[in-house]
Amino acid sequence: MTRSLTRWAGTAAVGAVSLVLVAACSGNSGGGGSEPGGPVTLKINFWGDFGLDELKAKYEDANPNVKISLNTGEYNAQHEDLQKKLIAGSGAPDIAAIDEGFVIQFRGQADKFVNLLDKGAGKYESSYLPWKWKQTLTPDGKTQIGLGTDVGGLAMCYRTDLFKAAGLPTERDQVSALWPSWDQFVAVGQQYTAKSGKKFIDSATNIFNPVLGQQQVGFYDENETLRMDGGPKVAFDVAAKMIAADLSANLAAFSPEWNSGFVKGNFAVLACPAWMQGHIKNTAPGTSGKWDVAAIPGGGGNWGGSFLTIPKQGKNVDEAYKFLEWLIQPEQQIEIFKQVGNLPSQPALYQDPAIKDFTNPFFSNAPVGQIFAKTAENLTPQYLGKKNGPTRVAVENVINRLATGNLKGKPDQAWAEAVKEAEKAAKS
Amino acid sequence: MTATVSGRRDRRRAALMGRAPQNTPGSGWSYLFLAVVIAFSAFPLYWMFVIATNTDEALAKIPPQVLPGGQLLTNLREVFSMQDVFFMQSLVNSVIVSSVVTASVLFFCSLAGFAFAKLRFKGRHALMVMVILTMTVPNQLGVVALYILMGKMPGEGGWNGTLLAVIVPGLVSAFGVFYMRQFILEAVPDELIEAARVDGATTMRIFWSVVVPAVRPAMAVLGLLTFVATWNEFQWPLITLGGTDYPTSMVALSDLASGNYVLYRRVLAGALIATLPLLVMLFIGGRQIVRGIMEGAVKS
Amino acid sequence: MSTTRAVPPAARRTAPAAPGGQRAPVSLRDRLYRFDTRYVPYLLIAPFFLLFAVFGLFPIAFNAVVALRNWRLDDPTLTGWAGLANFERLLTDGDFWNALYNTFGIFLLSTVPQLLLALVVASLLNRRLRAQTWFRVGVLLPYITPVTASTLIFSVVFARDTGIANWALSLLGIGETEPIDWRSAKWSSWIAIATMVNWKWIGYNALLYLAAMQSIPRDVYEAAAVDGAGPWRQLWRITVPMIRPVVIFTVVLSTIGGLQLFTEPMLFDSNPALATGGADGEWQTIAQLIYKVGWRDLNLGYAAAMSWALFLIILIVAAGNALITNRLGGGR
Repeated sequence: MTRSLTRWAGTAAVGAVSLVLVAACSGNSGGGGSEPGGPVTLKINFWGDFGLDELKAKYEDANPNVKISLNTGEYNAQHEDLQKKLIAGSGAPDIAAIDEGFVIQFRGQADKFVNLLDKGAGKYESSYLPWKWKQTLTPDGKTQIGLGTDVGGLAMCYRTDLFKAAGLPTERDQVSALWPSWDQFVAVGQQYTAKSGKKFIDSATNIFNPVLGQQQVGFYDENETLRMDGGPKVAFDVAAKMIAADLSANLAAFSPEWNSGFVKGNFAVLACPAWMQGHIKNTAPGTSGKWDVAAIPGGGGNWGGSFLTIPKQGKNVDEAYKFLEWLIQPEQQIEIFKQVGNLPSQPALYQDPAIKDFTNPFFSNAPVGQIFAKTAENLTPQYLGKKNGPTRVAVENVINRLATGNLKGKPDQAWAEAVKEAEKAAKS
Repeated sequence: MTATVSGRRDRRRAALMGRAPQNTPGSGWSYLFLAVVIAFSAFPLYWMFVIATNTDEALAKIPPQVLPGGQLLTNLREVFSMQDVFFMQSLVNSVIVSSVVTASVLFFCSLAGFAFAKLRFKGRHALMVMVILTMTVPNQLGVVALYILMGKMPGEGGWNGTLLAVIVPGLVSAFGVFYMRQFILEAVPDELIEAARVDGATTMRIFWSVVVPAVRPAMAVLGLLTFVATWNEFQWPLITLGGTDYPTSMVALSDLASGNYVLYRRVLAGALIATLPLLVMLFIGGRQIVRGIMEGAVKS
Repeated sequence: MSTTRAVPPAARRTAPAAPGGQRAPVSLRDRLYRFDTRYVPYLLIAPFFLLFAVFGLFPIAFNAVVALRNWRLDDPTLTGWAGLANFERLLTDGDFWNALYNTFGIFLLSTVPQLLLALVVASLLNRRLRAQTWFRVGVLLPYITPVTASTLIFSVVFARDTGIANWALSLLGIGETEPIDWRSAKWSSWIAIATMVNWKWIGYNALLYLAAMQSIPRDVYEAAAVDGAGPWRQLWRITVPMIRPVVIFTVVLSTIGGLQLFTEPMLFDSNPALATGGADGEWQTIAQLIYKVGWRDLNLGYAAAMSWALFLIILIVAAGNALITNRLGGGR
């Protein structure tokens, strides 16, 4: 009895020690590089859906020595995490996606990224929308830190079944004609709400962002000065009008309740940058065929759109560039568009029949290729400041409070608060 | 006994007078109240199961779906296939961390508890007071410095982001030392130790052949409590393992709840899996856990 | 078996000090024995103290250093002594005071009902019951459930549109037209979080009380029979005063735990990665703010200063609570 217990305890102790060792080793191997010639794992960090699932398999088949690890995460958290790892000097992924909202911040640390011009990426300059190319290019034109993936040209997604039930037209041209301006959009919303008793839009912040995207100047001008009285004020007022008219379901964007709102049909319209199509499809596959795409009030505008970069600290920089270069080839870009709707940032592709003639059955066979290509071609890009990301979060929070919290129904006070919070974020 | 049978309120009261609660049979009301308490305790767990086994559509209904559905496997498959969450890895990690910490706490704390309870050495009272004092230090206080410290540990990038960062600080516990000391004090008679000494046994030999067999039940209790506490730890693992592809299951759960495609059924399917091992432990070792908590209370 | 072994240790110890200062030759075995009784005890407690010193004590001391320095993760060049700047900033930081207010609000809403209910539950568990063990294990269900898991469950329960809490309230006629948005105001988010804390700890505290109640000598109740107390008065006038030490213990424990509340406020957020505790920090606690300042704003120096402030607050409140509880119990 005693002996067996002793042995048991001894085994436990030995086991404990060896487990610690195992843990230590396996823990460290996560960030470690791979021996030359051995299999290479490329880690890619992004958020939402970049449409890479199938392309990953395809690339791995063609390159048996490469394994690709896809890591999608929360939008803000991914950017913060990348920043942390760049400073720490280790731990960053081999390829990191960066949204245009954060791109100026990272462009300022160009020395921490591989200069893609050194890798011969210069030959792709002419393929890109000129402003897209410039967003990741340092002002001196010598360092290119990323290659563009998609642009977030804006349209308006709407639920045909809910429109029909509320006695509104359902055909996309007629719907577009309903709302040339945001004021008219509010009027349509009131009509819808009166008839159906349901809310019209998902969230006021999802009106604020596209309206802001349509302005000449966003949060910051090119001198990095916060310009709240310009574009942000216009966008804020539209959002406040939506709230005042009680048209918003007040579902915080990208929250689980927002996601279940898609399933439940809690709202009838949603501002749709091209990349939003993928989100709707992933979140509410059951609503297939009930959506359609019309023009956005105010016309044009951009919301989001990303780049892929290669942090210098990676161990497999060359393999990473090879994959990146493969990914931006027309064939792959078109595949991504078909998969999740992300519109490429290479204008020549818009003329490609694969995009031009593409209709999406999920969106009632809307010619989404044409619709989004047109919005992208007409884009006048906005300068997004270094602190654009945090500033947007701060103002969105105030809008959410205006909709639900202690600022409820006090637009003037809310605006003062928004200015205050934005200034705080600018300084942080 | 007769008082309950009679059922008359005043007679019952008269009979109860002066009687210790332990001798008072529970009335119907007390059973009812306790049943409500148990129901309140169990409801969230039941609700987790309901949501984890249903579809989005079922969950969007009003009035809500109150019965489990048949989607558990589908939901679980989704959880395990989410590449950024590393759920499978996180479960393995949690098992490693909790077992290593438990084994180590049992070993080191019994050793120290034995020394404090039965061996005579200079300064043992002062040292024991120190152990008790350390039990009251809030762990919040050190996290920032602990993070910096882990960053300076040998190895590339230090220990942050590796399991060592969560294992090593947990290898000993003041509560464990205290608990084992109290138990050994009572459960191991001094004569037994003296006798072993006379037989020529060394201190370590006495520990293995006299103390360990006698304190087995206490070790089971301490082991259970330690395992549960380690498994459930969140803040420190989040700080040091958050954002890596090497989380514990609690950190993975929080990742599951913070992506862009957060769906309640998926989150709670994950929560169900992360809770299951502990429910099994409660089922098997519930009696021991209850005893451990109650003994800890009386002694302190 | 050697006979020397039978000599009592005390006698052996004097042996080497032979008269004339001449040391008797000490055998290897004797040396081993002396080593065993004198030093092995220290070896046995060494692992605990060593590990604790490195990973428990040192960080606390070092934290004080960090608090007095500029220490940023996002700008390693910005270093050096900051003096008391971090602490000064604390005094004027609206976020800190807001978090402090929230922490106390949630703390009160959770601790008071938690301990009172635990007393009631304990007194019922203290009766002679059928299926006694079953009840005791049953109240431990919340204790065993990971806080992460239970918080996520309660997040779903308190969802605005699909949550079962609002549905149940609507049956009672509350919020029928406009369901309560639990995350939009201080009062509602505090209630939601306090519910989670109460749920988690009532059973555990009840068992602590139960243990103490069972050690009350039974004749105490007989002696008190004269005033004709029913079970309820018996509880408050005899039982509770008798278990005062444990009540104080639980008050101190819940203070230490409650003021460090982290997981519940973190995961109650619809986007936990932000650590803001609501759109306007409605329920952001200090522990959560420390996390945000340290690992989202990457300002470790400031976070360390905040930890110290929190420590002081806990110390003061725990001591104060222990005193008050002692008084209340002693007054009776």
